[in-house]
Amino acid sequence: MMLKRTEFIARVKIDEDTLDIWLSEQWLIPIHEAEQDAFTEADIARALLIQELEHNFGVNQPGISIALHLLDQLHGARAGLHKTKR
Amino acid sequence: MRNPYEILGVSKSASAEDIRSAYRKLAKKLHPDLNPGDKKSEDKFKEVSAANELLSDNEKRAKFDAGVIDEAGNEKPQERPFYRDYAGANAGAQGANPNYESASAFSDLGGMDDILAEMLGRQANARRNAPGQDVQYRLSVPFLDAVNGATQRLNLPDGSIIDVKIPAGIAEGQSIRLKGKGSPGRGTGTSGDARVEISILPHPFFTRLGDDLLVELPVSIKEAALGGPIKAPTATGTVLLNIPANSNSGSQLRLKGKGVAGRGDLLVKLRVLLPKRPDQKLNDFLGSWSPDATEDPRGEMAS
Repeated sequence: MMLKRTEFIARVKIDEDTLDIWLSEQWLIPIHEAEQDAFTEADIARALLIQELEHNFGVNQPGISIALHLLDQLHGARAGLHKTKR
Repeated sequence: MRNPYEILGVSKSASAEDIRSAYRKLAKKLHPDLNPGDKKSEDKFKEVSAANELLSDNEKRAKFDAGVIDEAGNEKPQERPFYRDYAGANAGAQGANPNYESASAFSDLGGMDDILAEMLGRQANARRNAPGQDVQYRLSVPFLDAVNGATQRLNLPDGSIIDVKIPAGIAEGQSIRLKGKGSPGRGTGTSGDARVEISILPHPFFTRLGDDLLVELPVSIKEAALGGPIKAPTATGTVLLNIPANSNSGSQLRLKGKGVAGRGDLLVKLRVLLPKRPDQKLNDFLGSWSPDATEDPRGEMAS
């Protein structure tokens, strides 16, 4: 299920400006098709995580960038490990 | 209440204009005051009005399409998805986004298999004769090499070199399998394969959409107004393109067969540019110019 930009904003309960900031920071990197951004469930989950880091755990903007960067590396390593499991 | 799109008889991708005219058509037919004898028309009219109220409001429509509210406008309980269900071991799951996958944690250490062997002391327990493991590499390919095909050199960690043949039209994320170029087997075991994952570098002015290529082509005012032949870049070289007279910014020309690897088309979108530095003769002319017809370029925006 892919959501368009307006639908994603409604689902995740943020405003247009916040989404633009997140996109420019590359905290979200939606799939781009037919000249539009298309958002997946992974993007919804990631957006909720970002909100949680900011509002519940008191992480500031640079902290969120670092956290997401390390999380992506960790998941990449985990994916690699799972691929070598025979 | 039924699905509001079904009630108005429009598709989910209907424009605001489609919805407005569908509503008006139905409302005119079903209005109770225009159907004094028909009891059922009141219910149908209310149904159509409620559907319109939901779909004609952009915010409500987006919320409904996203599944945040139901047909009556009430908030639906939302699932709380967790990111880990779409990443790492679940990176191939439905709803995942491959754009976040990062191989950088171990990229300096060559294959995952070496790390695993080191960490788990597998080398000590290895069988005498075993086939070699697959090794994964990542290769960044320049945009036009990916489109037209090319050969690219890959340096292996052991110092040897492989020339990888990049097939024309290869897409972002696709893998090329090189048999026998992975880790050597033990004893009499065969070597594993090398899997080369392709990452395509962006191009300064071409973009790719499936088998089509897109390019935005700047043209001067004179070229746009008078038309004529101009040089345009394609993936395989420059061609002469005939611009029709009175071509506006955004108009699109299609060069058939000039897309990716001879499939698809090259879509050329024109962008009219003023001269980089102000042109005095042009500005003098425009200052004294009265057009033939009085046309307001912003006419459609007047409320």
